[in-house]
Amino acid sequence: MLKYITKRLIYSAIILVFVMFLIYVLMYNMPSGYIETKARELASRPGATKSYTEWLSDLNAQYGMDKGVVEGYFVWVGNAVRGNWGDSWVWTIPVTEEFHNTVWFSFILGLISFIFEIIIAIPLGIVAARKQYSFADYFTTVFAMVSISLPTFFLATVLKYVFSVKLGWFDISGMQGRYYGTLSPFGKFLDVAHHFVLPSITLIVLSIGGLMRYTRTNMLEVLNSDYIRTARAKGVPEKTVINHHAFRNTMIPLITTLGGSLPGLFSGALITETLFAIRGIGFASYNSMVQADIPFTMFYLAFISILTLLGNLISDLLYGVVDPRVRLS
Amino acid sequence: MARFNLNEALKQKAAQHTLKANVNQDELALDDVSRVKVLSPGRKVFKRFMRNRLAIFGSVLLISMFVLAFFGPLFYPYGQKEVFYKYDDRTVNYGMAKENTAYNYFVSDEGVDIELLVGTAAGSNIKSMIAAGQDGKLIASETRYYAIDKVEEDIYTLSTVETEEICLFGEGSIFVGNYGTITEAMEYSIAPIAGLEDAVSTHRGGDSFVYDGVTYELVTVNRRTIGVYMQLSGIRYSGAPMDAEFEALARSAAADNGSFRYNGEEYGVETSKTISRVFRLSDKKVGRVYSRLSVDTYDASVEVPESLRVAAMLAAGEGGTFEADGKTWSIAKEDGILVVRDSTGAESFEFSEVSIRRYSGEDSISLELKKALKVKIEEMTEANVRTDVLTHVIPVQNEEGQYDYNEDGTLKMAEADLDIDQQQTGEYVIRAEQRIYVIDRFGSPSRAHILGTDGDGFDVFARLMYGGRVSLMVGFVVVFLEIILGVIMGGLAGYYGGWVDMVIMRLVDIFYCLPSMPIMIILGAMMDAMRMDTYIRLIIMMAALGIMGWAGVARMVRGQILSLREQEFMLAAEASGLKVRHRILHHLIPNVMPQLIVIATMGMGGVILLESTLSYLGLGVKHPLATWGTMINSVSSATAMSQYPYIWIPVGLLICLTVIAFNFVGDGLRDAYDPKANR
Repeated sequence: MLKYITKRLIYSAIILVFVMFLIYVLMYNMPSGYIETKARELASRPGATKSYTEWLSDLNAQYGMDKGVVEGYFVWVGNAVRGNWGDSWVWTIPVTEEFHNTVWFSFILGLISFIFEIIIAIPLGIVAARKQYSFADYFTTVFAMVSISLPTFFLATVLKYVFSVKLGWFDISGMQGRYYGTLSPFGKFLDVAHHFVLPSITLIVLSIGGLMRYTRTNMLEVLNSDYIRTARAKGVPEKTVINHHAFRNTMIPLITTLGGSLPGLFSGALITETLFAIRGIGFASYNSMVQADIPFTMFYLAFISILTLLGNLISDLLYGVVDPRVRLS
Repeated sequence: MARFNLNEALKQKAAQHTLKANVNQDELALDDVSRVKVLSPGRKVFKRFMRNRLAIFGSVLLISMFVLAFFGPLFYPYGQKEVFYKYDDRTVNYGMAKENTAYNYFVSDEGVDIELLVGTAAGSNIKSMIAAGQDGKLIASETRYYAIDKVEEDIYTLSTVETEEICLFGEGSIFVGNYGTITEAMEYSIAPIAGLEDAVSTHRGGDSFVYDGVTYELVTVNRRTIGVYMQLSGIRYSGAPMDAEFEALARSAAADNGSFRYNGEEYGVETSKTISRVFRLSDKKVGRVYSRLSVDTYDASVEVPESLRVAAMLAAGEGGTFEADGKTWSIAKEDGILVVRDSTGAESFEFSEVSIRRYSGEDSISLELKKALKVKIEEMTEANVRTDVLTHVIPVQNEEGQYDYNEDGTLKMAEADLDIDQQQTGEYVIRAEQRIYVIDRFGSPSRAHILGTDGDGFDVFARLMYGGRVSLMVGFVVVFLEIILGVIMGGLAGYYGGWVDMVIMRLVDIFYCLPSMPIMIILGAMMDAMRMDTYIRLIIMMAALGIMGWAGVARMVRGQILSLREQEFMLAAEASGLKVRHRILHHLIPNVMPQLIVIATMGMGGVILLESTLSYLGLGVKHPLATWGTMINSVSSATAMSQYPYIWIPVGLLICLTVIAFNFVGDGLRDAYDPKANR
């Protein structure tokens, strides 16, 4: 087991090195005029702490832009491993500080939608599988399909239109209300929670479909397997068949995928956060990317890649943990 | 039993069929050939697909979407970049009223030469005259004298005059002139005094001397020049003395620096400090007429030529008739307004202190309205209000924003509310509802525009169809690219195995891990900054999406081929000595086809979703080119979103429906190809 984990870790690290290299090449080949004008633009904004020449020289020091691609890449990786990610151009604070400021909002948002997704999707998927071709099944299938097919921006716009514009229950965007400053600590918490409702709904609706289909598919597979037939043939009550025999086996693939998506909770919802102006890491990185804030963008890309690899790793390991039939080697 | 022949069996079946049609009571036997229906695999898949209601729904949806996007524009009258206009009633700045304060000049005699400085200073001179209540003023330039005379209130003339100094009076010292010690001659700045030169030359050593009963003072300017000043007390005539009446007149005129008439001759007084000089003026030639009055004609279509205007102004003083342009006119003050009538006595035009014009500067407002406005403005000034409304008839505009005419050629008039509003600068702006031609922005759905128009006056429905074209095309191209790349890479990896497989699969892992959305956003921002052409952007975007999406296809193809490779038919293919290329393309790939089709169909929806998201963020296809994403983007601001739901809701629904349809069809196809899988 330990050997397997080590092997997988090394393997992931190698992949990460190459992914980072691709990302680095992408950044390295950006037209210099583009970087320069953007740096100039951002440096002339109020609150900028450095002049654009300083930024550009920082960039050279940080990323080895004045060296060859390979050599420069190692300069960057060396810096990155030491935790030196430079100063963000847009946010004018060290990249890691901005990361700390934002990532927890993303995590909370992700966690809320993750929990609700599980609570809603898995039971629905199981119900649909148990009564295949019933109304419930069709309803679930169609709903899942709609949920997968909805564009984030459209759902967000519809929600804003209905709940913010027409009903006026929520603010259209942002994380704090107008009177945030005058509220008590608990009131502040409630205010932020209130602003998290619509983004959470968006994320939940969008993610439910996939999990629901996955649950249904797996449940169907399990229900068609021989041991279920055996259990039924033995005269085990249907309730026990479903809850003990079928459900537990359905959970195996579910747990591995859900486990694999755990690191994704930190990655932030790029589009949703941007649309609702939730100051999470997705919002921060979107603004950084659009304004060519290279230090933060590079950090974000690397961060996302690490999370993806971590997710794969976790899901593979969980497979071995959850399913005793699988021997990891 | 006889040997079974398929041909015969089919014939038999056909015969039976006809028999069955005739006699509908034949029971089928168990060994009847027609009991076994043989369907080709394709037909089988098709049949299974047709049984899936959701898939059928998806197909119908897709077909209609394609028809709408690719054939719809052919039958729709509008293009995607066609801008629509409309006539709209808007409150526009109709006119402007302003009290004239600046004195403008009109040349009355080209032959009279007036120096530039005198001409430009005339306006302020006139204002100082008004302030001092003078009727005439003498103005000295470097070389000569000019006279400004009041003709009538607000009308002044500037003329050149010949002057002859008559006398000096006052108490104090006046500069007489410079005495040149070398030339031994005086340069007088006032009228010459006989014998003064000799007197100066005799007394040039001293400070002062008395000559002819007057004290003169000498001031050495430099070695060659001595300044001579006269200590004046009382009156001193340059020539023959005049009588006491003249003196009295001169002194009274001096008090206001003006002019007076004496014995039928005109005199001007120039006063500086305490000394006044009196000149006899002669040979007065009027060069310019200054006035702050503007002209309002009774018939708005008639223009008043400058010569007529000048002649009228010059005649204003006396009133009565004057000749201009070969016609006789009369001018008279009526109710404090100078009115000019032509020879028949009909009113032609009048002078006004307030100029009321259309906002464009055009003078086409009727006199009647002008007068009404003047009265209203006076009322407003008295009541000290800044805004008021005047209801008056103004020319009517028709649907096209043109003026309407009656049958007799006169303008159609109708009552309208004119809002009069005083600006901070003191002018009055007159606003009225007018029909104007504007871009039809955010037009509500109507018969002409089914879904209304967007912020640029484009027809939303037309853009919806053209946008569908681009969106669907992007989906196709990207998926095609993905499949090609994926099949090649996956095929190679799966077929060869070993290190090829190893390398390609690691590549797949890397591409799987690459965050595609952020990279697309960065790419979009970069292309934004470089102001790339929208079509090039489209191509780059499609290429990038294709390159980042092949990994999944490759993985699937490899997996399939790995299992197919071990099957007997591949062994047979190898044994029959087929080339590698042939084996891959003709034996392996066709077996992967079902999965490929499913992946392609599902992928299409995903790509459309991604493209619309990018376009929505403004990082994909750019504005004039329509896609579904950009259309929603154009109303993404909070206000536009809440006010124009008829633009973004249909577009958003269309995106949803298309993606759903692709997914349904993909799902249906998968189930049809592989009925054992989960359904």
